[in-house]
Amino acid sequence: MKLTLALSLVLLVFLCQNVGGKKSHKPADLDDNEFAEFEDFDDEGVLSSAEQEATVEEEADFPSESDDIVKTQAKKDDDNEEEEDEGVVENDDDEFEHFTDEDEFEGFDKESRPGKGKSHEVPDLKIAKVPIHLRTNWDSFYLEMLMLAGLGVYFLNFLAGKTKNGKLAQAWMSSHRSILEENFAIIGDDGLSKEAKGTGVFNKESENVYTLWCSGRTCVEGMLVELRLLKRQDLINVMTTIMKPASDQIIVKVTMDASSMDKFCFCIGQKKVMAKLLKEQPDLGQFTEKKAVENYNLPESFQLQSEIGEATSIVLDKKVCAYLEKYEQQIEYIHISDQYSGAKSQYDENQSKMPDVRPSLVFCFNVPGKGKTKTSDVDGMLPLMKLVFYCVDKVGRLALSKEKRLKAEKNRAKAAEGYLKAAHSQLQEAAQLRREEKRRLAKEKIMNEEDPEKARKWEERESKRDMKKKQAKTKMMKVKGM
Amino acid sequence: MSNAATNDVKRPNKIHRYKPKDSSAPGDDPTPDYMNLLGMIFSMCGLMMKLKWCAWCAVYCSFISFANSRASEDTKQTLSSFMLSISAVVMSYLQNPQPMTPPWQ
Repeated sequence: MKLTLALSLVLLVFLCQNVGGKKSHKPADLDDNEFAEFEDFDDEGVLSSAEQEATVEEEADFPSESDDIVKTQAKKDDDNEEEEDEGVVENDDDEFEHFTDEDEFEGFDKESRPGKGKSHEVPDLKIAKVPIHLRTNWDSFYLEMLMLAGLGVYFLNFLAGKTKNGKLAQAWMSSHRSILEENFAIIGDDGLSKEAKGTGVFNKESENVYTLWCSGRTCVEGMLVELRLLKRQDLINVMTTIMKPASDQIIVKVTMDASSMDKFCFCIGQKKVMAKLLKEQPDLGQFTEKKAVENYNLPESFQLQSEIGEATSIVLDKKVCAYLEKYEQQIEYIHISDQYSGAKSQYDENQSKMPDVRPSLVFCFNVPGKGKTKTSDVDGMLPLMKLVFYCVDKVGRLALSKEKRLKAEKNRAKAAEGYLKAAHSQLQEAAQLRREEKRRLAKEKIMNEEDPEKARKWEERESKRDMKKKQAKTKMMKVKGM
Repeated sequence: MSNAATNDVKRPNKIHRYKPKDSSAPGDDPTPDYMNLLGMIFSMCGLMMKLKWCAWCAVYCSFISFANSRASEDTKQTLSSFMLSISAVVMSYLQNPQPMTPPWQ
């Protein structure tokens, strides 16, 4: 009995042990099954295969490194497995065979598997688009080359245009120097130097505008010669000029002494320019009227604006008319006025103030050549400079009859009165606005005033003031009626 | 001789100095000012919105402004506009080295 009990106990213990062992062995078994293929391998071999599994994922980034790892591990295992290098690859195939099972995966195409070799079932790599670098591919930067070429062309044109304009100015100076030296004490003044020394050269206002101030002559305060050449330095302007031809212009503005010139206003010029001048020049609009050019046997292309007929006939004598006929294309306009104030500013709408006037003669000449000017064309402008001095002397000697002088003075007085009225009405308006503003502020103050007594008193005062005003008006009306 | 003396119109004692035109008044040619402003606007657009064509237009505008500028104007403004436009071009290429693509592509 005791023996049987002992035996049964032993059996029980044995059975218990077996059950516990089986449980613990299950994962081990599983593990063993997983790595059953590597049973023959050493631990290192097992590790290497595990590493391979891990490195397969990283293959995309470090294919060479994983290869190296495999190789190093393979070398270690050389003792045990000689064919490990290739064996590893083959084993890889076996190892991942279940990944290539078509039944296992959807959409898996066995044939499209990457080839065996170093790639180690590398996933389909998508090589990122590397931006085209400047050093590698110049051809693709053709637009940039075009831009730079454009800039280069513009710069070359700038230099060429600047040089051409400079040459034209120089040519004008050399051809006109003698006549200027005959007529003026100083030629060329920038206005900045301490002493009035004639520089003898142009002041460069910009690459296409040159000015020259001459002074020291009888009847004349000074003469400003402005060469308004075409913008040859600007390529866009050059192209515009090709499409719409324009001329270089020479503007001569002679400012007379206050007492040297009689009072009259006169202008003759090309028709297309006269419309613009009438708008811009306030004296022409105020004092002059359109007169017929036929009376003076002048070409039809000219338009005449004159205030006093007598002055016009004295100015437009035979010599001047001959010049106007001969140089019809070159004379843009001639404006002689004792009320010259320059072009009206577009922004200044205020007409109440009389503009600052100086007696002046303004001549505008076109250089022949219509843009394609040569230095010889500029030399051909000399006779027109002689015309300028002829007109200056004539106007200086001009003496109107008493009647015409009175007429002129009357016109000026009327114009001055008009300005005064405009100024007065403006002042009145301003005063009215100020008064209204004051009243409004006072009312606001009273409205805000909390004390009702004060408010009442103010209102009483205001009503009394209004009554007085009304009474005064009616009294005035009564007196007028009487 | 006497003719020369009577015909001599020069009066050295009646010399008047030249008064330069007021440069603050809006001149008859506003091109350099407009181009300067346009150049700065294009530069800012090119820098902030990384548009290469804007930067190139800015360079052109600065160039045109410089060509049309008056002698009395401050060169510093023109120069600074130039520098700004060039920096816009350089920055847009540093940020994106790709070449410019024409609008028809």
